Amino acid sequence: MSTAKEKKYAKRMRNQPSNVSLDQSDDHPRHGGRGSFQSYGDSNPGSSGQQQRGFHQSRFHSRGGRGRGPPSESQPVPKFLTVTKFAQARAAEINAMVKAASQKSSNSLVFQSLPRHMRRRAMGHNIKRLPRRLREIAKKEMEKTVHQKKEQSKSKSRKARRRHGNLQLEFNRRQRKNIWLETHIWHAKRFHMLKKWGYCLADRPTMKSYRACYRAMSNHCLLQDMSYYCCVELLGKEEDLFEALSRLCSIDTGPTFKAAPCISGKRQGSLVLYKADKYPEEALGHVTFIWKPRSVSDTACNKRQLWIWMHPAFKADVLKELRLVCVCEERPDNFVCVSEPAPPPPPTEEPPASVTGAGRKRKLKSKGEKAVPVKKIIGDGTRAVPDPYYWTSTQTGITIRDLTMEIVRYRLVGPMSNCVLGDALHVAPLHEETEAPGPHSWWADYCKDPDKVLRHNNQESLFKILKGLESAAQIPSGTVLGLTVGDPRLNLPDKRTKSFPNVESYEDRDKVKSVTQAGVPVECTESLIWSSDVRSHVLDNKISEQEFNRLRSELLIPGTKLDLHNSESKIPVLLIQQPGKVTGKDRPGWGSGWDICLPKGWGMAFWIPLIFRGVRVGGLQQRLQHFQYMGAPNVPGDFPDTPAGVQSAQETKAQLLEKYTRRPPAKRTNFIKHGVLSPFHCPWDQLTREWELRPSVGLEFPKVQLKVDNLEIKEEPADSPADEEMSMESSAVTEEKTVLEDIEGRKDFSVLRNKKILQNFSALVAPVSHGRKGPSDRSQQLSHLVGSVLRDFPRSLVWVRLSMLAKGSPELHALICSPSEQDLLHLQQDKSFPGPLEPKHGDRFKKQVLKFKKDKKKAKKNKDAAKNDGLEDASCNDDLTLGLWPSPLPEVTSHCSRTLLGYVTQGDFSLAMGYGDALGFVSFTGLAHMLTDQPQDKTGLVLVRNLTSLQYRFAKLTIEV
Amino acid sequence: MAEQTSLQERPSAHRRRPAPRPSRGPNDIYVNTKTDFRAQLSRCRRLLESGSQKELRVHGLGLAIGRAINLALQLQLAMPETLLSASTSTVELTDDLEAEGGEDAEAGTRNRNNSAIHIRVYRPHEE
Repeated sequence: MSTAKEKKYAKRMRNQPSNVSLDQSDDHPRHGGRGSFQSYGDSNPGSSGQQQRGFHQSRFHSRGGRGRGPPSESQPVPKFLTVTKFAQARAAEINAMVKAASQKSSNSLVFQSLPRHMRRRAMGHNIKRLPRRLREIAKKEMEKTVHQKKEQSKSKSRKARRRHGNLQLEFNRRQRKNIWLETHIWHAKRFHMLKKWGYCLADRPTMKSYRACYRAMSNHCLLQDMSYYCCVELLGKEEDLFEALSRLCSIDTGPTFKAAPCISGKRQGSLVLYKADKYPEEALGHVTFIWKPRSVSDTACNKRQLWIWMHPAFKADVLKELRLVCVCEERPDNFVCVSEPAPPPPPTEEPPASVTGAGRKRKLKSKGEKAVPVKKIIGDGTRAVPDPYYWTSTQTGITIRDLTMEIVRYRLVGPMSNCVLGDALHVAPLHEETEAPGPHSWWADYCKDPDKVLRHNNQESLFKILKGLESAAQIPSGTVLGLTVGDPRLNLPDKRTKSFPNVESYEDRDKVKSVTQAGVPVECTESLIWSSDVRSHVLDNKISEQEFNRLRSELLIPGTKLDLHNSESKIPVLLIQQPGKVTGKDRPGWGSGWDICLPKGWGMAFWIPLIFRGVRVGGLQQRLQHFQYMGAPNVPGDFPDTPAGVQSAQETKAQLLEKYTRRPPAKRTNFIKHGVLSPFHCPWDQLTREWELRPSVGLEFPKVQLKVDNLEIKEEPADSPADEEMSMESSAVTEEKTVLEDIEGRKDFSVLRNKKILQNFSALVAPVSHGRKGPSDRSQQLSHLVGSVLRDFPRSLVWVRLSMLAKGSPELHALICSPSEQDLLHLQQDKSFPGPLEPKHGDRFKKQVLKFKKDKKKAKKNKDAAKNDGLEDASCNDDLTLGLWPSPLPEVTSHCSRTLLGYVTQGDFSLAMGYGDALGFVSFTGLAHMLTDQPQDKTGLVLVRNLTSLQYRFAKLTIEV
Repeated sequence: MAEQTSLQERPSAHRRRPAPRPSRGPNDIYVNTKTDFRAQLSRCRRLLESGSQKELRVHGLGLAIGRAINLALQLQLAMPETLLSASTSTVELTDDLEAEGGEDAEAGTRNRNNSAIHIRVYRPHEE
């Protein structure tokens, strides 16, 4: 019998009982059975007989193990028949049939097995709609399902679950792993959320708003919640702090912690931190910092306070290094109190993240509503529960405090951000002596000092002047303004409005001019937000939203402004100007705006008033967009030499690979055929190593280099197996060399951040038009510069910006290559020349992959084979995926027809520029090679090729410092 | 010129702040030298022809003065009923100087003046 038929029979017999009793009782020889069958068939022709036949056949088959033809043909008819045996066999069969009929083997419900004409509406709910004979079974089934449902259902009703305390508990449970920001619930309703860096962060709005967000950034105002940024506070003597911090940074990369405008507290500074004494290698991450301005009380003991803000991805590394340079012990001060949760922490240094969910929970406690047990969460997204947050050094007296989640930080981007801030905030009114003192004793104390009142008034007038500025870029970059504001919920408009600048505020031009020239005077940068006591005080005395609404509803005339007098909350805030685009020539100051820092717990109270001034809200995607158009490095993707950057690259790789392998192999891009070796990550290490080892490194390299290039161009297009073998061999040789190099000790690449070198170099990269400078001067400069750099940093990357000449929008990990001479000539002759094409590469791994797949299939079928040859294959071809190059990559620089210089790390069509725009890294050595080859008027032209295309396109390379 | 100075006098590197734009209405056209002229012209024409704006204010600063004048005249050519009235002004610009001599020095600012033109393109009132 053919297998198909066999299967068919098996299928038909699936629901039949396996009639064992027949076999056991049937002890007579086989022919007896056959005989019985024959007679049965004779006596009962029809459909049931057919089934019986099938049944017998399958039985025979399973017993003998070999197929047989239909029993009717050429079977010898038995001569005699024993009645008792025959009857026994039939009885057993009838028994089996009855049993099968009474039993239900499929897992459908009873009413589902009824024929269509007997079905009734709502049978599943009402047993009485079923035929009476089935009611018993249906009843059982129903009980069963009800039971199951009860187990699954939530123990509490929805109403109970939504009750405030229970809801808080649920929220706490849900943010155990990834901490929520204060605006989380607002965002979660409107945004796609991501779990990243230990936080739940908004990625992009669910509504279609990519372009609208860009317009908001360039014309009005875009708001982002940046509270996930981590703040570390350093407290100590000025000299001690300088001494410790100077080990982490270098003056070469720009102004450091010591820079005069920053140290006075007037400006925010930013820099890249390195491991102690390791500059220029082993970068840790990018940070911004603010010094607290010197005040009278501090000058006596010469203690200074410094806040260092950083991205959560960098926090672990930076904090560790800070503790190292400040000689803070492993055992922190608060170790004891954290390990024993029973004693409350000392009042002065309250566990910073103990009330991560902000004031509401805290409020409940302070009011004494003990009926609702709300559990507090200790720790935050970047720190485990028992981890310390507070360290003091016995040697230097420096205190490091982790203020993560202590301060809320919002970023407003766009020219109208002044105006939005000016409308949303109002400066706190002075304390009125006549009336009963409100709960804000700190404010009453503050207002007793006439100096402080004067300062407050100055701050107020400055804040009003800010409203008159056209954009935040008008004032010096990084300006800090301290302020004490009133409760922003008080002057909330009825409806969402869009703020526009008020024409009247332009009148006082002289004052505006003084601010734009000199910035904010030092005394006005003072804010009480620096004091943790005031911060906690402000949080404790916050009027809850509910209470606030009640007060508002009690107003005599609805809609009028609520006047709380002394009981109105006063909140110390810090405004920090963000300079926007500072590099490059075009669009200066694009994307400038303000950061506003608030004490924790006040997040939503400020968020809604800002929203009501017509701002648009963005998430991480908008942040990336902002950074790209500004030409600023994105954190942590644009820091490939930091541990966080390496980690994020790995994550991206895994993510992209997963997405790639989800597609069917025939529908994926075959990256081998496109000549792309590493589509999901950038092998910076290999790239820099190869460029260092290229034979023509030196000062007289131009001629040698040309030869090499020509050779390669001749070789590569003919893509034969022999060629590939050669290249493989050469790569093996280079690998041997690199192993030697590694032993020598230089094994890592670094990103060149020396400002002077970059400035000089960027001037050389810019194309020189005719009759500007002598060519000899330029080449001399170049060779001098390159020589010095190659001596000091042979394996360095340079961060560059690429703008497409004509078409094309570069994507992530696109290849940056140097054009050949013919390409440049071609471009000169034909202005519309799009760029050369990469010849298609052969995929010599395809056969291997297919063979491997076949072997795998075979191995599955018979395990013996798998043990013999399948294992061998599996061991060598473990990571073979169709279309991806297996792990030891050949030489990356010379794999394609154009020499590879680097990779794109951020790339997109730039709405601001109107054409494709990308940021990426290139090997410094490679760039120097390219520049020496190129003619004067064509310097800085490179080719960019996307991973999914064979078309190279021209782009202009600039280094922006 | 900027490139030359930046090459020759490295220490006094400066960074220009964006020029102030006092009024940002939908009918304020700030002419620059980068945007395609025809695009600017068609944008102005669309604004005028739609009837939503009774007048346009075309602003040009420095090198863009010529372009601004050209734009206004082209507009008048296309719509002969419009009138032009021009006024000039001086705009104060600020440059950020980069600090010299290490980190102790305060980074200063420098003021420059540049001339600007403001052309009102409007339709006369029908009497």
